[in-house]
Amino acid sequence: MKTNVLVLFIMMVVTFTLKSQITGVVVDKDSVPIPEVEIVLPENDINLYTNKSGEFSIDLELSIGSYIYFYKNGYESKKSQYVGNIELLIMLDDLHVKVDEISVAASYNILGNSKLTNIVNKNIKDVFLNSNSLLESVEELSGVDLISSGTGIQKVVVRGLSGMRVVTYLNGMQINNQQWANDHGIGFTELGLDKVELIKGSSALRYGSETMGGLLYFKDQPFVKTDKLDGFVGSKFNINSHSNSNQFGIKWNKKNLFLNLFGEYTLSSDYKLPNGQYLFNSRFNKNTIKFSVSHKKNNLQNTFRYQLNNELTGIPAHVCLGDPSQIPLTDLLSESFDFNTDFEIKTPYQDVTNNLLVYDVNYFLNNTKMNLYIGHFINNLKEYEKITSPAFDLILSNTLINPHVKYFLNNSTLEFGSQFSILNNKNNINERLVPDASSMNIGPYGTFNYETNNIGLNLGARFDYKTLKSKDNTVTTNMVFNVDYEKSFTHPSFSSGFYYKFKDHITRISYSGSYRAPHFSELFSNGVHHGTNRYELGDTSLSIEKANQIDFKYQWSNDHLGIVINPFIQNINNFISINLTDSIYISEDNFGNVLGSYRVYEYMQYESVELKGFEMNLHYHPHYLHNLHIEQSYSFLKTNNKEDSLGLALTPANSIKTRLLLDLSKYEKLNKFKINNISLYHKYKFEQNSIAQYEEATDSYNVFNFQIGGNVSDNLKYTFGIQNLFNSEYTPHISRIRGVGPNGVPNPGRSININLKYEF
Amino acid sequence: MKKTTLGMFVLSLALLSACTDSHDECEHCHIAYVNAAGDEVEVEIMNAAGGDEFCGSELEEAEGADFTYTLDADVVVGNDTVPAGTYSEIHCGHH
Repeated sequence: MKTNVLVLFIMMVVTFTLKSQITGVVVDKDSVPIPEVEIVLPENDINLYTNKSGEFSIDLELSIGSYIYFYKNGYESKKSQYVGNIELLIMLDDLHVKVDEISVAASYNILGNSKLTNIVNKNIKDVFLNSNSLLESVEELSGVDLISSGTGIQKVVVRGLSGMRVVTYLNGMQINNQQWANDHGIGFTELGLDKVELIKGSSALRYGSETMGGLLYFKDQPFVKTDKLDGFVGSKFNINSHSNSNQFGIKWNKKNLFLNLFGEYTLSSDYKLPNGQYLFNSRFNKNTIKFSVSHKKNNLQNTFRYQLNNELTGIPAHVCLGDPSQIPLTDLLSESFDFNTDFEIKTPYQDVTNNLLVYDVNYFLNNTKMNLYIGHFINNLKEYEKITSPAFDLILSNTLINPHVKYFLNNSTLEFGSQFSILNNKNNINERLVPDASSMNIGPYGTFNYETNNIGLNLGARFDYKTLKSKDNTVTTNMVFNVDYEKSFTHPSFSSGFYYKFKDHITRISYSGSYRAPHFSELFSNGVHHGTNRYELGDTSLSIEKANQIDFKYQWSNDHLGIVINPFIQNINNFISINLTDSIYISEDNFGNVLGSYRVYEYMQYESVELKGFEMNLHYHPHYLHNLHIEQSYSFLKTNNKEDSLGLALTPANSIKTRLLLDLSKYEKLNKFKINNISLYHKYKFEQNSIAQYEEATDSYNVFNFQIGGNVSDNLKYTFGIQNLFNSEYTPHISRIRGVGPNGVPNPGRSININLKYEF
Repeated sequence: MKKTTLGMFVLSLALLSACTDSHDECEHCHIAYVNAAGDEVEVEIMNAAGGDEFCGSELEEAEGADFTYTLDADVVVGNDTVPAGTYSEIHCGHH
């Protein structure tokens, strides 16, 4: 029997092998060949480039009906559907106004069809050169904010939601790194990344039902089909925090074998405030190594990825005793900087080690792509309050298995599969804030997309079954952990979208619903959390959160102006929140001496909350100055807790973000100055008066960033930037250290960056 | 080309290994006494040899749950008086 199955399988492989032999040329509107056009084969995760004559040749297996994408800076992107081995002539028009909100320009998204779902994608390949950090680059998107304390600890907020409601994926694997707490960052760096896709709201069915706020999907740079070794080395310096980051990357290919290898070392001291003092212990260091190997033979493609991240991150503005808001800011700051001692991580700090292993196999068969994804992520978080032993030492491991089938038929795409995940939280020492716990989740799903030039439709559904178990009777220093819990949760999710284009007017409406089971931190927390300066108390009676969202988009553009308007409303029932109580927890030693006092925060559930607002993007491009681009995004959000008619805690203030970009690369006379572009970025944050109980309002502020970018030689790129140009003193409403000191701890003051990247 | 590639690779490795942090294994330790106002008052303690730094296993012991330190007499720190007695809350390093 086994032999018969094997023979049948081999026959299928032999019978349906579709070795594509596509050749073609890419030209501009005057039929001039365009060299170095990036040709993306997303189903294979392989890129190649046109030669000097604009020609290309693809000899890889492709599914009939799959798409090939063509990208070149300054031109509109194009996509072509693979229908057989033919010769292609691709013409790229000049690009004036780039408004890619509803993907008028052809763009590939892993998360789905961006015409039908609210997917925003951002190229982050050069974030090392162009931004202070990965998430500060992502924050430039409308509706996105950061909870942070300097660049050491940063995490994303999407339309006012964060923590467990914003799910992060890296190369197909869900990153579970104790993201329930605001002091636990994203867990990886920009090293080797190519793009990030963001779904705002709950339409990411393939990637889980719990993405109420949104889903961030980070993807590595693709493999490159090349006959030489490609790579880079880069180094960047930041004067404000005396940080230095170094990276290298190598891409190699021989016949059917592809390899990518990257490494990074980053070291940062404390950041300097606008008043010239330094926020003690905002220092950090990060090490990363990652590699990917892919082998493609006939219809079969196997890919293996491994990534190791280690971060030592100081926890600044730490307060053991009393009300943090009453602490004088001077107690938390250093007057001066010492090169010999101020890079050394001091207590309290986090030691985070993340291991990610991914195996991904694709099989291409006529109109079908079959995929099996297996991922394993291990997060080890240690929080050190003492030098020699951690206060917490947890290992959170997550295994994900995801079989997935994608079927192309004319204008339709059908996808179905199932996510199976096992999560295990294990404490390595007796002291703990959350108990040992495990969960198992099975989630079958299916989506259907139909798309023509003017109209599109998307329907999707998913059903999740989740069990959550915890049995923990550990005796800690101050208490006996007494948890015995086992419960299962079942919940359906859905998404739908409709798209219509009439001349230059494009509209889309989507409606989605999602459910989230309570996390073990919300159910069982019981202890002092030094990272957040508070005592946290869970509630085992918490039940499932349910969310519904309506999202509407309208887009119009011509050669000089583009506009996108995106109102939305989301209603969440049984919203889980952690709230300040009027209790103080005082810990004492055996002799009655007070060890510390912390305000008590308790998880609770609101019957119903509403989040509504709108985002708007403008791109203006004056006719008389073709190389000047003015981009502006508006984000307005109002949250309402229907129980008390107040806002939700940590709702980001409304904002207007503006970028002026002058592209000088096409002025040949200016080539001698080695400057390609000059940009000025401005962020205006309104005051935030919509606040929760016990929360204080915050003032408005302006921040300006300036940057020059260019090429010293063909291979050596540079950027020179000044962040917070006018040294503004401000504390964002959602800063994780806003509650420390009378007015919170300000964000970094003026900073100068010099970034270099040599490509070979 | 090969030389350039090799050079770049060596340079990148050099950059990656250029900065290393060193953990000082010796630290000062103090009794963390909380006064009536709820503020921490620090009284520096001495190691077994009468020195002011705790290193290695002695540091580990000082931070351990079972460690106690006895003040034989009251100690005046600024406006606060830390009474004689046995204390178990010992903080080492910057706190």
